[in-house]
Amino acid sequence: MTAAEPVELVEHFFRHESAKLVSVLTRAFGIARLELVEESVQEAMMAALRSWRQRGVPHNPAGWIHRVARNRALDALRREKVHQLALSLSGQTEEATEALIDDWLLEERLPDSLLRMMFVCCHPALEQRSQIALTLNILCGFSVSEVARGLLISVEAGKKRIQRAKKTLADAQVRVDLPTAGELKSRLAVVQTVLYVMFNEGYSTSRGHEPLRDDVCEEAARLCHLLCEHETFSTPSTRALLALMLFHGARLEARVDSEGAVILLEDQDRARWDRRLIRVGERWLARAGSERLTRFHLEAAIALLHCHSPSVEETPWGQIVDLYDRLLVLSDSPLYTLNRAIARGEAGHPREALVAIESIRGDREMRDYYLLDCAAGRLHELLGDRSLALAAYSRARSEAGAPHARALLDKKLARLR
Amino acid sequence: MAKFLFVYRGGHESPEPPSPEQMQQIMQTWMDWIQGGTEAGWMVDGGTGLKAEGQVVQPDLVVTDGPFAEAKELVGGFSIVQADDLAAATKLAKTSPMIAGGGSVEVREFMNYDIP
Repeated sequence: MTAAEPVELVEHFFRHESAKLVSVLTRAFGIARLELVEESVQEAMMAALRSWRQRGVPHNPAGWIHRVARNRALDALRREKVHQLALSLSGQTEEATEALIDDWLLEERLPDSLLRMMFVCCHPALEQRSQIALTLNILCGFSVSEVARGLLISVEAGKKRIQRAKKTLADAQVRVDLPTAGELKSRLAVVQTVLYVMFNEGYSTSRGHEPLRDDVCEEAARLCHLLCEHETFSTPSTRALLALMLFHGARLEARVDSEGAVILLEDQDRARWDRRLIRVGERWLARAGSERLTRFHLEAAIALLHCHSPSVEETPWGQIVDLYDRLLVLSDSPLYTLNRAIARGEAGHPREALVAIESIRGDREMRDYYLLDCAAGRLHELLGDRSLALAAYSRARSEAGAPHARALLDKKLARLR
Repeated sequence: MAKFLFVYRGGHESPEPPSPEQMQQIMQTWMDWIQGGTEAGWMVDGGTGLKAEGQVVQPDLVVTDGPFAEAKELVGGFSIVQADDLAAATKLAKTSPMIAGGGSVEVREFMNYDIP
């Protein structure tokens, strides 16, 4: 018995080891072997679970799992007849392959394989929803049902999407490579968008609260950080994106009450915002200087203004309106229009803001979007029109799908009545 | 105080294997249980898990691969505990993570060595 000093596993140890191993082994054996690789990794982790659960975690748990997974994958390949053929084609002996894998699994070499895999999961041959699902599955170690829960789709739909994506990649014989200099810009933009949407997906508790969705945010930020640590991918826009995630992340805790109901910005206890995360975000934003400001820069700037404001009243709404104006130049999104209207309303122009909100009501993206009527309710409140505010909040309540969103609106309604 | 052997069988044979995050939770539950028992004094030896593959030597010295049990009957590990009597040991077995994981725990009292 070695009960003296039990080794504690770091948080999400299995998840992240799974991502590392699948990335390295797929890089070694090719995308066509993804399934075999995933099975080997799964078996290695089950072996670890059975071996450690009674005797405790060994001193180098990562090394333990790496060796077992590598050996399982090689064993499985040896059983395949094509293995010999594959070896003779690649000109690698088995010993050389083994040494290569061990080298790639070294702590300092790991990011290289993870980044390669990130570009594979965000391959342009896949549609965006599949890119996100695959990233969560492979690079974040989420099981298929966890991906489904994180993205609010059925397990069946998630399974189909992930299987199809893997097949597409295998059929296209996608190589586990980094993008070439020529395609770097467009490929990096896709990865950034995937991480951005993934983060928002986790962040929007608007459709159901679930701790797993905080994990989705955390994972998006972790992967973005990985990009920021790399000399080529750490561009101003990548850094701005990381800053944006950290500013939003700083408010995650304060966004829900003890019963899981959403608390809107105006009602949040700002003392609960994570000052440390805000400072880290500021450092990244300071290093994101560029002549061409992207939406990540502008959105990060807005988020930072909120982070620095002691209250709704003391928020520099005029500056925020200006930043939304610049965002609307980049992209004519109704979401920007909605948020600009909210800022304009708080800046003392609620009547004009209501007109703006009505102008996007017909937009496809805004249909049945309860936050639109929620914003309208707030504007009517600012105008001192209780009955119209009540009507807007009631409409929002009927559009809200998730129980916690309805709970939020019930509170608003109760306060007004 | 008498000593007992806990024999663990089966567990985690759901159609979908546990996700990495679930594995971590299962691991944590086990480690907490063993550590808790060790600190409380009833867990004498956490024991070990057993590999599934093995061999069986028959009376005629024929050696077969085995034990070829159904997954849920396969012995997956054991621990040694101490308790006042079989009932008390059984009560402890009920708190094992094995039960929550869908497996079973066989509780067997050690034979007396001293004259009873």
